[in-house]
Amino acid sequence: MESLKLLPVHPSDRGSQRCRLGPGVMSALGLGLGSPVLVSLPGGSCLCTAWPRSDLAEGFLQADLKCVSPGLLSQNPAHLTLDLGQLTAVPAHRLKSVRITVVVQNVDFKKRASPRLVHELVKEMLVGVQLHKGFVVNLEDFDTELVYVVVENIYPEGTTAGLVTSRTGVDIAGIQTVRHYRSQLQDQHREPLGGLEEVSAALREMLQLPLLYPNTLRSLGLSCPRGVLLVGPPGVGKTLLVRRVVLEVGASLVVVKGPEVVGSRPGESEETLRSVFARARSAAEDGPCVFFLDELDSLCPRRSSSSAPENRVVAQLLTLMDGMNRSDRFLIVAATNRPDSLDPALRRPGRFDREVIIGPPTSQQRKEILSVLCERMPVCPSVDLSELAQRTAGYVGADLSALCREAALHALRERSKESGEQTVGMKHFEEALKVVCPSCLRGSLGRTELSPVPWERIGGLEEIKLKLIQSIEWPMRYPEAFVRLGLSRPRGVLLYGPPGCAKTTLVKAAASSSHCAFLSVSGADLYSPYVGDSEKTLAQLFRQARACAPSILFLDEIDSLIGSRSGCQTPNSVQARLLSVLLNEMDGVGLKTVERRGTEQVLQADGGEESRTQEQLDCQEVCNKDVMVVAATNRPDCIDSALLRPGRLDHIIYVPPPDQQARLAILKACTTSMPVAADVRLDELAANTERYSGADLENLCKEAALLALLDENMEATSIKHTDFLRSFTKMSPSLTAQQIQTYLSSPR
Amino acid sequence: MSKLALSSLHQALQRSFASVDSSQKLWLGVLADCSPLMVSLGNLAEQAIALNNVQLSNTPLRDFPDLEDRLRFKLLQAIDTVLNRIHEKMSSLQSIRDTVTNQVSAVLRLYQQNAEDLDLHTVTQRSAVTPSVADMLEWLQDAERHYRQQFLKRKTLLHMLKADDLSLLEAAPKTWKSLESPSANEQITDTLCKVSFFMESR
Amino acid sequence: MTSTNRKCSALTGSSRKTKDNAADWFNLMLRWNRLNDEGFNVAANIVNSKRSVYSTEPPLVVTSAGVSDSAPLQDDCRTLQDVVDKMVTIVTKMERLTASQSGVRALDDFRTQGEGHLFHGWSLTLYVSEVATATLLVDFRQELRLKQTILQEVAHTVTSDLGLVLLSGWLHQPFITDRTRLTVEALLMETGLRPL
Repeated sequence: MESLKLLPVHPSDRGSQRCRLGPGVMSALGLGLGSPVLVSLPGGSCLCTAWPRSDLAEGFLQADLKCVSPGLLSQNPAHLTLDLGQLTAVPAHRLKSVRITVVVQNVDFKKRASPRLVHELVKEMLVGVQLHKGFVVNLEDFDTELVYVVVENIYPEGTTAGLVTSRTGVDIAGIQTVRHYRSQLQDQHREPLGGLEEVSAALREMLQLPLLYPNTLRSLGLSCPRGVLLVGPPGVGKTLLVRRVVLEVGASLVVVKGPEVVGSRPGESEETLRSVFARARSAAEDGPCVFFLDELDSLCPRRSSSSAPENRVVAQLLTLMDGMNRSDRFLIVAATNRPDSLDPALRRPGRFDREVIIGPPTSQQRKEILSVLCERMPVCPSVDLSELAQRTAGYVGADLSALCREAALHALRERSKESGEQTVGMKHFEEALKVVCPSCLRGSLGRTELSPVPWERIGGLEEIKLKLIQSIEWPMRYPEAFVRLGLSRPRGVLLYGPPGCAKTTLVKAAASSSHCAFLSVSGADLYSPYVGDSEKTLAQLFRQARACAPSILFLDEIDSLIGSRSGCQTPNSVQARLLSVLLNEMDGVGLKTVERRGTEQVLQADGGEESRTQEQLDCQEVCNKDVMVVAATNRPDCIDSALLRPGRLDHIIYVPPPDQQARLAILKACTTSMPVAADVRLDELAANTERYSGADLENLCKEAALLALLDENMEATSIKHTDFLRSFTKMSPSLTAQQIQTYLSSPR
Repeated sequence: MSKLALSSLHQALQRSFASVDSSQKLWLGVLADCSPLMVSLGNLAEQAIALNNVQLSNTPLRDFPDLEDRLRFKLLQAIDTVLNRIHEKMSSLQSIRDTVTNQVSAVLRLYQQNAEDLDLHTVTQRSAVTPSVADMLEWLQDAERHYRQQFLKRKTLLHMLKADDLSLLEAAPKTWKSLESPSANEQITDTLCKVSFFMESR
Repeated sequence: MTSTNRKCSALTGSSRKTKDNAADWFNLMLRWNRLNDEGFNVAANIVNSKRSVYSTEPPLVVTSAGVSDSAPLQDDCRTLQDVVDKMVTIVTKMERLTASQSGVRALDDFRTQGEGHLFHGWSLTLYVSEVATATLLVDFRQELRLKQTILQEVAHTVTSDLGLVLLSGWLHQPFITDRTRLTVEALLMETGLRPL
């Protein structure tokens, strides 16, 4: 097979639709002068008329791309080698009529030019051109306002290509602007959006209904919604969603970021707002248009009596929205992450009729997002996305993409060290998880750097561990069992016991083993000299914890934080108020709508393995919506009894001082990192340390090590039994029998 | 058979080139008539712009309260008249173009009807006096495309000119002039030169 | 068409006079238009020279440049003055014509006491002619005033825009409208100078 070299078109041939070939090739294909020929190129094909090269040389091809498939519009193929098979002779037809869409340079022309003129011009331009169904004719060589003609259909039926003559009827189906047309073309290769299907479907419906069925709506007497408010925490993909839906619907988009509009001079912001609105309106004349106001809260804060400039901007926006004609084919979409700070006048029907709440993604949605993100990455097949999705509770879309980026970077770093395989493995994701924390927790008060504590580090207390695992880990692991038995996850756990008995460490271990977000606060974090501030902080803490549920909120030393109402303090103290906040947050009436997660799904009983795992995931979602409050105290008698009733801190676990066995385990755990001499008898020590708490035992070991150092002048290599004994004689147990007795007798 | 077809094709080509030759002269003549009209259009627009810029009540002309309206009316009337005359010119351009188009499409159709008899070797054969049929058809097509393009460009320009868009009107003479493509005109002259022997060969 | 070239030379009296008047009007108008073209060229010269002064030289040197350029400029101004003077003469003649026309009408009224008809319904014609000439006179007087103003201003324009406006005001004669022309035509037709 002969090959042809593709050369750029000769300038004089531009706009002629000629395809210059050698005469040999032409006769081989059975082409005469000016016979239509279809040239397929990478990315599309183009319809040309065959013409011999003026030098009659073989082996070259120059094609004028006048009539091409849409894919070839943006690119200009050059320096390719084609073979003869890529040229196909097309039977010559004369067209009876064509149906076309005209693409013009700007809206202005579309408005001014009469349909008759456009028809006349287009016809003039098309006469003598070979058309192919579905192709686009490039009219740029005429240098007029008309840029392209899209061939929608050609007649007689059954032909795919043919010549336009002066007797061909031209039927103009519509006129578009180039911008609009290009955006439609882009539409065809977009990347999928993970996990926002339902919201985007709702939004799409809102956009499409008035556009596709205007008559139906009118006959039903419906007025279409004109404003949509997207509410959701930062990073869930509000902006992306709007862009995507707009592309899908084929509408044009005018984006305004709140801060861009605000100007320094008085009246400037209103001016800008008006001009942007005018722009959107003119775009709407061209086709459906979405006017997207990002960060609406910065533009339209709640109107107050004092700050005049914002008031005027809000008033201007209200006026513009009310002034919108019903027939205007444009929709206003605004996005905000602080809906409460918006002016309430904006949120009434007629302005932003609908509010779409996008919550942080559920684990199912996270899985979808991750699978979209990982599609482009060479991910090791061993990476379990559902596992990853479970471990990324509280991560929003932006966090997940940061996570993937971080993981890929880790993989890259590793690869540069040892040029190994290029895939991103689970270990990279693990690394990345340590670096990237969910954005809803960033800057949060209770965010703690939590070094993972394995259960093994805690000696003894097996029973307590089991209880904690039951109440924290099981609901995560076996949600279907919980649902089956009608069990609900405990709302709260109170750990009480003498000080130093590993209450805090236990909670840490529970948090690290369950991979959920862990927030910890103590009294000092919450107290503030301002009235009402502490309560606000606590409420905020709960909100954040809910945003990244399932999560554990750890209130250490809860007795100091929140006293008892029946206590001696004045009834209106900070503590009493904090207590009421806590009670409310723990079982208030319900979630705020703004904090909703994902969207409630109806489970489909389709059967099959896939739906079973799906179900399991859904179960998890249902069960793990809540924040688990874990409180620790060593003065249970000071706790308000309202907190202790079932439904609040319903699991009350006594963490006793360690018994002999537990003490042995603790000592073992404490001395694992110490070089202990062979003669040390930990069991004997354990037997002798009655009423020693875990902290005491740890101290004992440390003291022994220090004594060993003291004796042997920094050159000690091991700790002997005598050291332990000596440190033992120096110390006394921090607990007294009486103390323990009070714990045992106290709450229940 | 092929001889016969070729000679009839040659005759048709000669007729077409003769028509292109006369059309080219006519075309240039009409264009030459147009340019003073365009210039006066530009002048009128300039005057109207000046009238808009001047606040007559601040000048000695304030004694004539209705002067501004009267003058504007006069100017618009004049612009209309000139535009009408240009449109008349356009229709003569169109008729010239139609002649060329008809000639060229007739020749092409003749070729297509005889395409079986004329193999590629025949149509690409050239001699010192006679260019090949392929070349001549190509030139004719090029000329036709040139006229079509020129006509369409000018027509679109004229359609965009409205008496109320003064800045566009003011720029019109320049735009009109920029539409001229000397190279294409040269090419047509060139082509006519190339076929001159062929034209005389009868 | 001149007053000697008459279709119906047998006419006498007021009808004859009316017809002559109409012909004179027409001729005066032709002369006016000729003068207008002449004046326009001169005024264009003035404005152009002023314009070139402004565009090439900064305002500071205008005085010195003005001295050197003033000779041709003053010539032009004088020519324009002549043109306007001639126009004044024409308008004076027009006034006289109007006066004579109303005289003819008054005489006719007096003679016929509203009964006799000359031809084409002459009493009506006379009346119409009087009104027509009167309106024509108003237009031309107004136009002359404009011309005089332009003459005063054209050499002293500060901005080129104003210069251009003055020029186009001269050229397009805003007070002489289509109605003016139609009135003269009607006059000619009514008196039978133009065949119906």
